[in-house]
Amino acid sequence: MIEVENLSKRYKLGSHKSDTLRGLLSSWRFSQEKESFLALDNVSFSVSQGETVGVIGRNGAGKSTLMKIISKITKPTSGQVKIYGRVSSLLEVGTGFHPELTGRENIFLNGSILGMTRAEIKNRFDEIVDFSGISEFLDTPVKHYSSGMYVRLAFAVAAHLEPEVLIVDEVLAVGDVDFQRKCFDKMQDVGKSGRTVLLVSHNMEAIERICERTIVLDHGKNVFTGDVAQGISVYSGVNSGNQSSRRWNTNDAPGNDKVRLVEISCRDSNGVSQNQFDCRYPIRIRFEFEVKAEGFQVHPAFHVMNERGICEFISGDFHHPEWGGRKLKTGTHKMECIIPGNLLSEGKHSLMVMLSSKPVSSAPYINHVNIDNCIVLNVFDLVEGDSARGLHKGPYPGVLRPKLKWNVLS
Amino acid sequence: MLSDRIFVHVIHKPEIISNRSSLFTFSDIGRYRELLWMLAWRDFRIRYAQTAIGLVWAFIQPVLTITILYVIFGRFAQVDTGGVPHIVYTASGLLGWTYFAYVMQNSGNSIITAQAMVKKIYFPRIIVPLSKALVGLIDLGVNAIVLALLMVVFDVPISVNFYVLPVFILMALMAALGIGIWLSALTIRFRDFQYVVPFMVQLGLYITPTAYPAEFAISKLPQWASFIYFMNPMAGVVEGIRWSILDTQAPSGLSYVSFIAVPVLFITSLFYFQKIDGKIADLV
Repeated sequence: MIEVENLSKRYKLGSHKSDTLRGLLSSWRFSQEKESFLALDNVSFSVSQGETVGVIGRNGAGKSTLMKIISKITKPTSGQVKIYGRVSSLLEVGTGFHPELTGRENIFLNGSILGMTRAEIKNRFDEIVDFSGISEFLDTPVKHYSSGMYVRLAFAVAAHLEPEVLIVDEVLAVGDVDFQRKCFDKMQDVGKSGRTVLLVSHNMEAIERICERTIVLDHGKNVFTGDVAQGISVYSGVNSGNQSSRRWNTNDAPGNDKVRLVEISCRDSNGVSQNQFDCRYPIRIRFEFEVKAEGFQVHPAFHVMNERGICEFISGDFHHPEWGGRKLKTGTHKMECIIPGNLLSEGKHSLMVMLSSKPVSSAPYINHVNIDNCIVLNVFDLVEGDSARGLHKGPYPGVLRPKLKWNVLS
Repeated sequence: MLSDRIFVHVIHKPEIISNRSSLFTFSDIGRYRELLWMLAWRDFRIRYAQTAIGLVWAFIQPVLTITILYVIFGRFAQVDTGGVPHIVYTASGLLGWTYFAYVMQNSGNSIITAQAMVKKIYFPRIIVPLSKALVGLIDLGVNAIVLALLMVVFDVPISVNFYVLPVFILMALMAALGIGIWLSALTIRFRDFQYVVPFMVQLGLYITPTAYPAEFAISKLPQWASFIYFMNPMAGVVEGIRWSILDTQAPSGLSYVSFIAVPVLFITSLFYFQKIDGKIADLV
């Protein structure tokens, strides 16, 4: 059980003057105000016994600082943390591993660094070796290990800690996919066995799968505490450095003397520009462009890419039965494409936006505007039961997430 | 067993982490004593890893040092050792000094070298310099063996004062720990000490009466300089160790300066370390 009360941590910026004797002497003479920043700003929350809580937030949000304070590695500037029970923290796998020592020796060394007693390590030694799957290299110095083997052994030791409170920072993001799955399962077991787990991760899949609650940090502040799905949507809100709408002045609008893109935006069903979209409802992609040459024929189009860079689908005005390929008058034109609800999967989608033309039907398209990663769509699922995933909270595969119709035939 | 009971206690009472709470407690060292052993064992294990003759090096080093000092002080300077063969005299002088020098040399950088651990895991930081002091005991043992062999070869009897030896060994441990803890803490803030320590080790070998009687040095020095000479905590300790093994001249009158310097060094080191302890992960 962990109680965090009004926790703040201030770091001084710039070089520590007192790092050299000369600096110390001069700082005695002129005591100067150093610049500082708050890595944690009045954070409070509590985690009850047996609960698994995920801490999310973008880089620099204060997650690691929070973990370091709870792990007693560094002191808070103000506020306090109360911890009931034996704490083990896992901020890194393989802390203290020495390349010259064998796998066997490193198990004992790393185990005791993580706070296990020699007897505990001995008891679980076989399990650890088994979990790591490197039994035949047990007496080889770890410097001869592949990085994969190294990580597996390191995680195997960590996975066999049995504290009452476990603090884990981003260590699941190691090893190959199979091994990661094994680690997930192990983490879930830990959570289910009544131990309190505090997990930091950028991997939303892991958070969704393992955690019961989330804490979202942003710029050192605790901006959300509660339900996992909501937490994740709050996180993607603070995480999108990219805009979901862009508008340009006529002077610097992308394009050429034929056509210029003035605005591209993502709007909800009411036509209001949004950052976050519920996966169940349609999203409107609005184009506004200025045609400069009379009678110019322009096709607005976009590609939707997922976070792995895979193109999910494309669309363009050629989908419009009458409008597509029509010659346009000079001036501003607005077009809108509606992406139906229950199509996009959860997460971040980026749009490549194009304005192109095709002077002769047999000729290839000419791009006048082509902006990769132009805007970003954030899609979330509240898991209320009427989306494609229903009430299933675990991982839900698929590039797209259509909610399809099923018929009962017999 | 005792620390286990403390440990059970901790489970029921919350541990409070705040700016005021000290992250350094003595009961914690007890809880982490296995880590202390493991770190010492690791140092020992990797010290001669991938060397052809391994542990033989542990013997070669003291033998070479003794030989060099014998040539300089025994042959060239021909210092008066009061009838004891100079080589045995030097070996006994080096017993405490080598240990002290080892700890001094290895503690300074110790926390910086362990920064990957210090930044990622909690343990009482003082364990790092302590582990160096523990590994140094191996060198102390090796030196003792070399000395014992030389005493047999040169047929030098053991002194009747031998029973006092543990007191002086204890003082050597305290002095080494004191300097080790001081240097490990200071080097975190002032990297300058990385350059100062090798010089201290080199100079220390000559200004400590390892290969000559302290009398030999202070008879040529004014009173105030003799006083400074004995500010070196090992000056008195080395004389004391030799006196309790070889029946040489008793530690000279000014040795009390050393005997006071030892606990002062040790206790102040603990205070300074405690002061800096909570900030170590931020400073390293």
